[in-house]
Amino acid sequence: MMKRIVRPLELITPKTFYSLMAAEIAIAVLLWLRFSVNLIPGPIQVAKALGELLSTQEFYQGLVSSLFLTFKGMLISILISLFISYTYFIPMLKPIGMFIVKCRYLTLTGLIFLFTLLTKNGSELKLSLLVFGIVPFFVTSMISELASINVQEFEVCKTLRMNNWETWFEVIIIGRLDHVVETLRQNFAIAWLMITMIEGLSMSEGGLGVLLIKANKYVNMPRVFALLVVILTLGIFFDFLLGFARAWLFPYTRLQVMK
Amino acid sequence: MISYSEKEVILKAENVSLSFGDKQILHDVNFEIHDVTRAGVSQGQVVSLIGRSGIGKTQLFKICSGIMAPTKGIVKIGVEQKPVEAGDVGIVPQNYILFNHRSVFKNLLIALDHSDRKLDEKQKKEIIDKHASDFDLSDHLSKYPMQLSGGQKQRVSILQQILTGNKFILLDEPFSGLDAIMVDKVIDLLVKISLMDELNTLIIVSHDIQNSMAISDLVWVLAQDKNHQGATIMEQVDLKKEGLAWRSDIRMDPLFQKQVDRVKSLI
Repeated sequence: MMKRIVRPLELITPKTFYSLMAAEIAIAVLLWLRFSVNLIPGPIQVAKALGELLSTQEFYQGLVSSLFLTFKGMLISILISLFISYTYFIPMLKPIGMFIVKCRYLTLTGLIFLFTLLTKNGSELKLSLLVFGIVPFFVTSMISELASINVQEFEVCKTLRMNNWETWFEVIIIGRLDHVVETLRQNFAIAWLMITMIEGLSMSEGGLGVLLIKANKYVNMPRVFALLVVILTLGIFFDFLLGFARAWLFPYTRLQVMK
Repeated sequence: MISYSEKEVILKAENVSLSFGDKQILHDVNFEIHDVTRAGVSQGQVVSLIGRSGIGKTQLFKICSGIMAPTKGIVKIGVEQKPVEAGDVGIVPQNYILFNHRSVFKNLLIALDHSDRKLDEKQKKEIIDKHASDFDLSDHLSKYPMQLSGGQKQRVSILQQILTGNKFILLDEPFSGLDAIMVDKVIDLLVKISLMDELNTLIIVSHDIQNSMAISDLVWVLAQDKNHQGATIMEQVDLKKEGLAWRSDIRMDPLFQKQVDRVKSLI
């Protein structure tokens, strides 16, 4: 048994896997309890701070503000990214897609001042920075996914007498909708990661990022950790939700996983 | 010997050459396929393209289907002998490419949607149901391709091309990855397709020389020309002339075995 759990490529039962997971979580909590010092609060302190946090109105206002900004930013980013990714296969528009992919290497820091001048208020500033931050990563993932389509799929479409537009629609758009949701799932993590950073730029509307900055400012480490627990839990929840939505909307993806 | 006659040319390659940069892949490939007729039977044509791996069979395949243009030469199709275009010839790839996001029924429907026939939804359903029954696919119409076995996927892939209305179908390694029983079923299916319409023409690329020759009436051997760079059709074996076509007991015939051995020695 011991040999099987340490040897690569071994197949183990789900029961063994979940037992291993539970044991590793228990060890991590024990280590956390044993080695928590002043700067790293222990689990009990964090749980207490979490309870306090959940009883404040400020937390719920911040949560709603962060979620609203994330969803709005994601929706706009998805629309822009899909347009760029799908039109990447139209020769005239391919250079735009190529340029956006390279924009991953642009740092937002240098552009904050420009965006401040271009936008009317803090809300617009945060939204535009979020969209600008997400789009290059979303487009990169989408183009990489779409460019790896087996060329034989396009050839079969030709033999079925489909013209280029029909082939583009069938193979790239309809045929890969499930991949859009998967890419969205992966990139939601990036949006969620950026949100706390961007919220610090305009603190008037609140948000989880603002709560985090305030807690850091007063070196209230139990609250910082409590906020991180909330952010991580919400992230895992949305990841699950998107995974569920993908399996529900595109049942054939479940078959691929099962195979 | 089974009597037959050859009518007009329905597929013809004239001096087809292909090169990628300095590398010559194919040179001066010439062939003709005639419409074969037999009394009392709608006899289609079955041609085997035999050659070693990497010789250029796939490229010749793509040129014949009109999805790749040759560097030189031309492929003409049909009784009217017009230059081949993508959509004139169906392809059944070795890995049976289907639309994974569509059910089997919808995979077949998309083929019918692009056929020359103008049909309403009811007629389309009737045609699909009839063909699905002929191809032993009736129980699988609501399934997705990922739920099918290799043999079932192959049948859907072939049926897709038939429903599009393609008389010419190129099959890449149709016997590969199938067990002996499935190979026999595929052989029966291909013979059945060849007898569905007089103009139905199957071109089979296979490493399984014995099985593909057993159902063919013509064999092309694609091999390297010693005096020239690139491959060409070095030999054409007309099995019907030798009385070795359209016979279910052909494998028992020593003359057929001799031909199989000869083709093997040529590649």
